[in-house]
Parts: sequence; structure tokens; C-alpha cells
Amino acid sequence: MRRFPILAGAAVLALSSVAAQAQDKLTLQLKWVTQAQFAGYFVAKDKGFYKDEKLDVTIKAGGPDVAPPQVIAGGGADVVIDWMPSALATREKGIALTNIAQVFKRSGMMLTCRKDSGIKTPADFKGKTLGVWFGGNEYPFLSWMDKLGFKTSGPNADIKVLKQGFNVDPLLQKQAACISTMTYNEYWQIIDAGVKPEDLIVFKYEDQGVATLEDGIYTLDAKLKDAATVDKLARFLRASMKGWDYAIKNQPEAVKIVLKNDTTGAQTEKHQTRMMGEIAKLVADQPKGIGYLEEADYQRTVDILLKGSSDPVITKKPVGAWTHDVWDKAMKK
Amino acid sequence: MRSGSLAVTAALGGGIAALAILDGGSAPPMLWLLVMVVVVLSWYGLEVLARFDRPRWIGALVVPGLFGILLVWLWQVLVQGFDIPMVLLPSPARIAHQIAANTDQLWQDFRQTFLKSVLAGFTLGSAAGFVVALLVDRSPFLQRGLLPLGSLVSAIPIVGIAPIMVMWFGFDWQSKAAVIVVMTFFPMLVNTIAGLAASNDIERDLMHSYAAGYWQTLIKLRLPSALPFIFNALKINSTLALIGGIVAEFFGTPVVGMGFRISVEIGRMNVDMVWATIAVAALAGSMFYGILALIERGLTFWHPSYRQEQN
Repeated sequence: MRRFPILAGAAVLALSSVAAQAQDKLTLQLKWVTQAQFAGYFVAKDKGFYKDEKLDVTIKAGGPDVAPPQVIAGGGADVVIDWMPSALATREKGIALTNIAQVFKRSGMMLTCRKDSGIKTPADFKGKTLGVWFGGNEYPFLSWMDKLGFKTSGPNADIKVLKQGFNVDPLLQKQAACISTMTYNEYWQIIDAGVKPEDLIVFKYEDQGVATLEDGIYTLDAKLKDAATVDKLARFLRASMKGWDYAIKNQPEAVKIVLKNDTTGAQTEKHQTRMMGEIAKLVADQPKGIGYLEEADYQRTVDILLKGSSDPVITKKPVGAWTHDVWDKAMKK
Repeated sequence: MRSGSLAVTAALGGGIAALAILDGGSAPPMLWLLVMVVVVLSWYGLEVLARFDRPRWIGALVVPGLFGILLVWLWQVLVQGFDIPMVLLPSPARIAHQIAANTDQLWQDFRQTFLKSVLAGFTLGSAAGFVVALLVDRSPFLQRGLLPLGSLVSAIPIVGIAPIMVMWFGFDWQSKAAVIVVMTFFPMLVNTIAGLAASNDIERDLMHSYAAGYWQTLIKLRLPSALPFIFNALKINSTLALIGGIVAEFFGTPVVGMGFRISVEIGRMNVDMVWATIAVAALAGSMFYGILALIERGLTFWHPSYRQEQN
């Protein structure tokens, strides 16, 4: 009689290990902290879309010191979210990242300026201090300045460039006339800090014709050579896009799921609701389905990156930097 | 001596051969045997050479220099032989190439960080610590009240204080110097106070018997006795100042400076450029420390730690 609990325990363990083996493990590295910018993946995990595809997905949050390309190169993730300029530059440096899905069709980047700095058009940037993120986010800015004919460095620079931290203080403290913001994040931080929208003037990169592709799903070339991994990635794509579709159609619920997954407790419902609304504008209305990379968009990004005169982001046209194979496999069913 | 020199020369020859094989493109198993032989030969040769006390420059210069060359060579061979990706660990050859190709930019970064932020912050912070130590010496009230505050200030992490300084003093080198002032204040304060207490009772009694006033005693007896302690603090501060200057630049800076260069280039995956900046920082830090050590030797030649070497 005493053997029964032991036998029962062993049976449970065996059964659970069998059940666990049926789920394939996959690790996703996000580009930034847990926020509505990545709602689709959190929704897919919480609503069980990944489990339906027999995937056990671990979502790793990013942050100021986390570079997704380095994480995947070091073996810490199977797929990463990254922006295309950073991914193409990394590819040229020897880590072969390939785009398997382009989630954001439009760019959310913009330059927000104080009206009292006297700036009305981009030509007024001359002689002013502009805040720019670096760490891979400076490329669209540099190509825009190049397009306007402004020098950003050296003794005769037309504008003074400030390396902005990930906050909006330079604008609030009047240390910079304009700062880089995302439509879905930092712009609202400025509004929350008490500045009225009438006191600000914004320049969206999409409107200026210098927008590059942002959040996309990338993996290493080597992983795409294994058929089992490609199948795993296809299932991941299918479930993730289902998650994004659900998130856009059920934004309040998506916000609650994101807040539940935020271990830092730093996000507020008000901020995340606004973010979800803005992100939905960047993701929605993709004719072939969320995540399908249009070659024209890819080409536009590559052209912008190749053009920078003094410090081009990439020096030659990338080859094999994207693929529809995984997407096609995902959508076939 | 002869066996040592022979071993080292053979190791040098083997090392050059290994590099030549790697440059050819392949990494055959024989190469690793050669690498191990070179390492063993160098080790033996350096051990033999290190035992020589005369002439002094062999132990002081040649052995460390050769050992350094051995380490750099091993680094190059391992990176090239195992084909380690550049973004994980670049080879010394790549780093040297980047230094040569970007000398102007590296010099501008050095000017911004070292010549402006670090030197200004170091001087101000150490001077402030010194002056406050003199005040504390005169006033027991300050001694009880200020020292705990000083230790509190020294415990503030750079990553907390740097953004605050940027908000107070703007983005340029002034905020970085302010961070360094905060970091270097306390070591100087504590060491100067300890130094001022270093003179013996018998020496102070002698000055008293000469009817020397407070300031005469201070300048002729107590400050010279305090010099070893003060230089101790200055040497500590030189390292802290460089660290503070570079790290403070991570938190908002104009687009020039060593900390800026490191954070930007790592974002662009130009890891060899990061290492080039690291090399410049290491060189600057060592030279700064070395200059302070030389000045210390000149001013405190009387201290027992220097006198022992004469024998």
C-alpha cells in the first residue's frame, strides 16, 4: 500500500514530461521593456494561441542595455524583435539576421519641438540643439539631416546633436529645441509632464519621407537551415499574428494583459491604453495580412540607409536579409 | 641567462610562424601544437629571465613587456584560429587598425572626456576635499558633523547622480566634471584628515617649543607629513575620475567623448571601435597614475617605503 503514492507520483511525472515534450520551446527577445508595443506576443501567450500551436514561448523583456542582436548571437534567444536599420547593420558586421516578418508597417518615430524655440519648418533646425537616440535609432535622423543638407558633426556643424537618454527631460529643461519621440510613448510623456499640445510642433518621419521600418521579427540564417526550426517559427508567426489581430480588435483587454505581464510595475493603464491605440495605427491595414514584408518598403529602407554621405549605415546592398518562406509556411494552413 | 634568451627567441620565432600560418587562412591541428610549444617556451624563458636582479631593466621592463606581447599574441591566435565573430571579441589586429584609422576622432574624444571633464573634476574635487579637511582639522564640530555626510556622499552610485547633474549643469563637460567632484571629494577628505594626524607628538612638541603658530606648524610640519596620504588619495582619485568621466557620458552628452563613443559604437556593433576606446582609456589612466606616482616620488623621497630600495 505504501508503494502507491510513489507509483502515482512517478506516473504523474512521466505523464507531465510527455505532455511537456509535446510543446516546443522558443525564446523571444523583445526590443524594449514590457509595454503595449509588444501587445501581440503577450496576448498570444495569455490567450493560449502559442499553446494551441504546441509552443512553449518565453518572452524576455528588453531595456536600455539589451541589444537584441547581441542576445541572439550569444544564444539567449531564438527570435528577436528589432528595427530594420539595426538588423541590416548587424548583418553587415557578421551576425546574419534575417527578417521573417514585418509587424509594424508604419514608423512611429518623430521629432517633437517646442513652439517657443521658433521652429516652424525643418529648415529652421539650423543652429538649434536636437536630441537624438543612438544605439541604432540614429540612422533615420542622420539620413534626414543629410537630405536637408545639414552637417551634424565637425567644426562647422549646422545643428548641435545631443545624445538623448530614454526620457524627455532635454525638452522639458529647454536644453534642446527638439527631441526624438515615438508617437506611442515619449510624446505622451511630454503631455503628461504638463506641456500642452498647442505648445509643441511635431515632424513625423513618415511625412518627411525618411521613415525606416521598425519592429520586425528576426532570426539567424543558421536557424532557417533546419526544417524543424522553420516549422517551429512558422507556428510562432501564425500564433503571434493571431495575437496581434486580437490585440488590435480588443484593445482594453490587451492593455490588461500587458499590465499583468509587467513585472516592474512601472507602466500605468492610462499610458498603456494610449500606447495601444497608437501602436494599432502602425500595425493595422496590411493588405496581405499583419507581418507580411512588402519588398517596396524593404527597398525604401535600404535606399535611405545606403545614402548617408559621411557615415553610411550600411556600405553595400544586403543580400538575403529577408525571407517570406516562414510566412508562407505559416499562412498555408 | 643564455637559456632564457634562447627560449624567448625560439618562442618569438614560433609565434611569428603561427601568425603566418593563420594569415594563410587555415587552422590545422599542427598549429595548436605550435601554439602550446610557444607558450611553454615563453613561460620557461621568462621564468629564467625574471630571476635576474642585475641589470634591473631586465626584470622591470623586458620580462613584463615580453609577457604582454605573449598575451596579445595568444589573443590574436585564438580569435583567428577559432574564427570568433568580431561582435563577440575582435582581434588585436582589428583594434590596432581602428586606432590607426580613427586617430583624429579618438583624439577629440580624449580631449572632451579627459582634458575637459576628468582633469577639471579631479582638480576641483581633490581641492574641495583638501580645503574641507583643513576646516575639519580646525573645528571639532565639523569633524563630528561632516565626516558622516561625506561618507554618505561617497556612497551615491554614479548611475543615480549622473542624470541629476545633467539636469543641473546641462549636457556638456560641466555635468561630467560635477559627477567626478562628487566621486573624488570623499577619498581626498578622509586621507587628508588621516595625514594631518600623522605627525608625531614629539615633532609637534618641538614646533611648540619653537613658538611656532598654527599655520607655521601646518605648513612646515603637518602638511609635509601628510603628503604620502594626500598622494594616496590623488592616485585613487585619478582612477575614479576616469571611470566617472566615462560612465557619466552614458547619460546624455554632446556627440563627442569616450563614454559617448563606447555607447554609440556598441549600439552599431562596431565592437573593435569600443575596444580602441578602451585601449585609449587604459593608456590615459595608466599615464595619469604614473605621473602622479613620479611626482609623489619626488616629493616624498624621505618616506621609508622609498628608502628601502637604496640597499
